[in-house]
Amino acid sequence: MENRIKNVMAAVFGISIEDINEESSPDSIDNWDSLNLMNLVVSLEEEFDIEFDDSDIVEMLNFKLIVSIIQEKLSN
Amino acid sequence: MVVNTCYNFMENLKYFEILKMNAELKDQMKSDPYNVSVISNITLNQFKEVLELPLREKGINAIVEIGDYDNIVQDSIKYKKSNLVVIFWEVCNLIDGLQHRIEFFQDKEFNQLIERTKLEIDIVIKNLKDTQLVLFNRFTSACFSNNNIDENRLDTLKNVLNEYVALVASKNIKIIDIEKTILNIGLEKSIDFRFYYSSKALYSIDFFKNYVNSILPFIISANGKSKKALIFDCDNTLWKGVLGEDGFDHIEMSRETKNGQIFNEIQNIALSLNKKGILLGLCSKNNFEDVQEVLDSNPDMVIHDENLTIKKVNWIDKATNIKEISEELNIGLDSIVFVDDSSFETNLVKEFLPEVTVLQVPKKLSDYPKMLRDNISLFYDLSQTKEDVNKVKMYKEQAERKVLEKTSNSIEDYLSALELKVVVKKNDSSIVPRISQLTQKTNQFNLTTIRYTESEIQAYLDDENVVIYTFSVSDKFGDNGVTGLCIVKLDKINSVATIDSFLMSCRVIGRNIEFSFMNFLIKELRNLNIKKINSSYLKTLKNSQIKSFYNNCQYSVVDSSEDKIEYVLDTQKHKPNKVKYINLEYYGK
Repeated sequence: MENRIKNVMAAVFGISIEDINEESSPDSIDNWDSLNLMNLVVSLEEEFDIEFDDSDIVEMLNFKLIVSIIQEKLSN
Repeated sequence: MVVNTCYNFMENLKYFEILKMNAELKDQMKSDPYNVSVISNITLNQFKEVLELPLREKGINAIVEIGDYDNIVQDSIKYKKSNLVVIFWEVCNLIDGLQHRIEFFQDKEFNQLIERTKLEIDIVIKNLKDTQLVLFNRFTSACFSNNNIDENRLDTLKNVLNEYVALVASKNIKIIDIEKTILNIGLEKSIDFRFYYSSKALYSIDFFKNYVNSILPFIISANGKSKKALIFDCDNTLWKGVLGEDGFDHIEMSRETKNGQIFNEIQNIALSLNKKGILLGLCSKNNFEDVQEVLDSNPDMVIHDENLTIKKVNWIDKATNIKEISEELNIGLDSIVFVDDSSFETNLVKEFLPEVTVLQVPKKLSDYPKMLRDNISLFYDLSQTKEDVNKVKMYKEQAERKVLEKTSNSIEDYLSALELKVVVKKNDSSIVPRISQLTQKTNQFNLTTIRYTESEIQAYLDDENVVIYTFSVSDKFGDNGVTGLCIVKLDKINSVATIDSFLMSCRVIGRNIEFSFMNFLIKELRNLNIKKINSSYLKTLKNSQIKSFYNNCQYSVVDSSEDKIEYVLDTQKHKPNKVKYINLEYYGK
């Protein structure tokens, strides 16, 4: 699952998969701004066939948190 | 669902796959760039790549630029030289929160809003009059309509505006019925309200994919890539049945039988294309004489010999035949659409002549007419609609003259009509979070892009050698809130001030507010006994549009490098260049 997320993030932020790690966040990825966050949200929704609500979106602060939010969604 | 159309290859692609493919294609493009600008009063950044990919896939080196948020009028000047301008103008965001506020408008306010928007439409159309192609979406209120019989005020507004656009649109403007896209995929799938309330983005990826399909024919035609010839197989493609087996009397294409009706409709669609100048041809494995007999004397045939520019009726393979058709008609293989019922034949042609667009008759025969109709857009030719334009030309010219009268000094008049008001406050400690947020979020109009936390801002407010000016901008339709900020550091002993930060939210760019504020600031600092103001421009990826801001405000360059320009201004020598239509009020302390 983590690889699928990285794959999506790499495409959305226009970077390579190797540049993404546990701590990746808006501080380490230049293109991680509010517009690209929106793109990331819809891309992850398509990829995992889930839907985030507003409270999920505000918590997507780094790669680790994104993984745990998706895990939680998928287990419900 | 019929899925045999050519354009919807994106339908099953996920957004991140579109991003990936588009990035790969970008480096392969060799032709001249085809510049597309999207001007809008909502956020639609996802539209960029969803439009670029199918165009690039067709060999059009599309470079799509999304204009500034809510800057339609200003962007219509900025982008008038683009090859294509697409306009997304949403009634719900003509004024922030209009969808609910409009119900409480007095008639006078309602009419003012209509007049203001009409004036803006006039200016935009005038600015774009020489642009090659403009796609202007019809106004829609679908996402905020009452789900009942009553027309709400937003509905009324969009009806009035749509009538007006249809009246004044010049011939380079194509009006796009965006509600067809909403109808195709459903309202629920078209809109994502989550992002409307967080970022003023209204439409979903699915919406953009479908919308792009609907506008592709215009763009393809503008790039000279419309299809020119439609080539049919005969058996089970132009008629039901196999001529060589069923015989002359038993093939069906009459309106009298169930299957016949379908083939009758197919022939009629082909004939109407032929009347518009599309070449028709046959490519069939049959005895030539047998087919010729049907053409000459079968009473059910709609297409006749005179409609057919070329006939390849023989036993040679179809790839060879179609290649010959291309040579004999002197048109490219990529201008040919070929229809056949046999998957053997369609695959053969796809394999050997990948440039040819191949359509296969659907297994479910009742889908066949819709499949062909969905593909008529392949043949769309922008120049064909000239006659329609002539008919209404006189009417339009009259309307255009009126526009010219009304908009002689367009932008200035427009801005004057807005009744802009700027309210400046000094050291307003009640809005610390907002001040910090502005420094964190503003990218485009931000001279130094220094980010501050709330506690850093609070520290500045407590420091008597730092002044924070904030300003809000309003016009006669409402208040945009605190949208601008300037942090100045004072060296009172030497009578020098340094502008640490100056920024404005993109919502208020393009109204010359920055110049009005700078006039004020210089005067204010002069009153504080400041003789010299230092300032700087620090380059980032996003703030190049304001590179010359200080030059335009009479500052002199003292030092300049790749990433930074430093300036100085003598407050005694500054001659304010007053912005007449902005009323600035100052509440200092």
